[in-house]
Amino acid sequence: MSGGLLGGRLTVVVGAGGVGKTTLAAALALGSALEGRRTLVMTIDPSLRLKDALGVAEEAKDEPIRVMEQGSGFLDAALLDAKHTFDRLIRTYAPDPEAAGRIFANRFYQDMAGSLSGILEYMAMERLFEMQASGRYDRIILDTPPTRQALDFLQAPERMMNLVDSRAIQFALDPWWDDAKPKNLAFRIVAKGAMELSDRLIGRRFLLDVVEFIRAFAPLFNGFRSRAEEVRTLLKAAGTRFLLVAGPGPDRVPDAMFFLRKLKETGHHLGPILVNQVHPDPGPAGPEDAGHTLLRYLADRDQRGLALLRSLFPGERTIIPVALEPVPPADLRTLGQLFDKLAATRST
Amino acid sequence: MPALDRLAERQLLVVTGKGGVGKTTLAAVLGRLLAARGKRVLLLEVDPRESLHQALGTEPSGGAIVPAGHGLSIQNLQPAAVIEGLVREKVPIAYFARKITESVAFRQFVEGAPGLKETALLGYAYRVLHEGRKPSADLVIVDAPATGHSATMLAAPRLLAQAAQGGQLGEMAAELAAYLTDGSRCGVVLATLAEEMPIQETLELIELLRTQQGRPPSLVVANGMYPAPPPGAAQTGATSLWRARRQLNEAELARLAAAWDGPLLELPLLPLDRGPALVEALAARFMEVDR
Repeated sequence: MSGGLLGGRLTVVVGAGGVGKTTLAAALALGSALEGRRTLVMTIDPSLRLKDALGVAEEAKDEPIRVMEQGSGFLDAALLDAKHTFDRLIRTYAPDPEAAGRIFANRFYQDMAGSLSGILEYMAMERLFEMQASGRYDRIILDTPPTRQALDFLQAPERMMNLVDSRAIQFALDPWWDDAKPKNLAFRIVAKGAMELSDRLIGRRFLLDVVEFIRAFAPLFNGFRSRAEEVRTLLKAAGTRFLLVAGPGPDRVPDAMFFLRKLKETGHHLGPILVNQVHPDPGPAGPEDAGHTLLRYLADRDQRGLALLRSLFPGERTIIPVALEPVPPADLRTLGQLFDKLAATRST
Repeated sequence: MPALDRLAERQLLVVTGKGGVGKTTLAAVLGRLLAARGKRVLLLEVDPRESLHQALGTEPSGGAIVPAGHGLSIQNLQPAAVIEGLVREKVPIAYFARKITESVAFRQFVEGAPGLKETALLGYAYRVLHEGRKPSADLVIVDAPATGHSATMLAAPRLLAQAAQGGQLGEMAAELAAYLTDGSRCGVVLATLAEEMPIQETLELIELLRTQQGRPPSLVVANGMYPAPPPGAAQTGATSLWRARRQLNEAELARLAAAWDGPLLELPLLPLDRGPALVEALAARFMEVDR
């Protein structure tokens, strides 16, 4: 019954922040488990309420936690955390514990590795791959980071591969101030100038920290590179489907268009579009309903948004409106009800 | 003392919050109100997909400064362009400057260096306010980018100053970091919705501002509040939805108020699309509730 919503082995839920992605991802995952599938939902920074509903806590950063079981199906939940995954990867790929220790001790790694652009996204992909390769699940539902740049993660594997191959990195592994190597005079003069300039602007300590980090990291590059390639293949595989969640109203349509265009460009498989938090029609005005004008406006506004989206994709995409819940789901029962509603909308 | 009086004493205001909480509209409302007090206000937008011009009914900026009514102008700013401008200034020979900005290593540095882009933007705002004999604005309002971690922008200069200690870049960043934590000159306005996740992030952000920057936000604004249902309203499906949302709003606002005793204003959900009419109506409402 949920065939259209839960396509293949992997569903990636994307969309701008604040549109209710995480709740919908959780509801879909629960529905999948109730249908007898071994299901995992991976989520970033879920709300307290949802954490309670799923019964997950901090320890879900390390290992998926069992949320429920029914017949042959079950639901596990895992929390994504960039620093956690990064640390674990280093332990996995480092040739020996000393190499891992050097990275952990590096100031640049401690201060900044977590905030480097694209790292969180890449780490999410890394963890996803690990889970998928474990063979423990029939279906994985991934909730993506709540930023407008959320689609960065699609490029994350490529970016990681490019970074490893880049001239900057190669340069850092063989820097100009390495006096042990004989260099000709012209090179020395140019190099001295370049060093003085960057010293003046950026400060040498920063460069030294970065170079030290890259050197410590170098033995891990090959592992990262081949893994990044596998992740890229997985995201474009036939069994992987992207589910776009959009906010209601015409103001949110540009956000949805942005995601759709990006997914199309990058050649990923797009499933139906869910337009969430749509205000229902308030019906005729009661005599003392002061708020009726507002409710009327909100219902009309959300219908205008849907019409606009439909006119932009005539017949090409299934666009499913999801009504605004009076109270957001707070436990497994209400999440299950939300899934039933989704499945019912889908089959009509 | 009304919150607006206090905001009018600042030079730089950073409006921040999660995506979709009405941050851009709030920035436009503040811009209008402060310009109406005789300030020359520049509103800086950072998102490459411009929307500030829609709120104020002007042409899109495309990087240029665009007038948006009495005393108010807007500008859409791209961090990479600001950084390239800085390189051109520091490296006077155009050929070398171009070589640098076109190099792969430079691009990766701009992308990867922690806090560089955000620092460049705040640095631009600082220069607008302080450069030359007669600066072109008295007050700059930054509509901060919607990121997962909205604290990132404010923490950026300090992070960069630590990383690039000893260089000119680090010194500039350190100066800017000191400026940003000076509560008498810079203010932070937090936009939020009275819903669980936005309130959660707002509470975390207030805590971060207190601990990392040593100062609380100047103002917290809860946008999009459902109005209180009138007593004795009919119990239809629609009004019960409205009641439930209002209750949720009130409960979340109470959670915020329990941890935040500073200035807090509520702005209502209005039956208007994004645009100048909405900005005017919210500005009028702001003046009513701000006392």
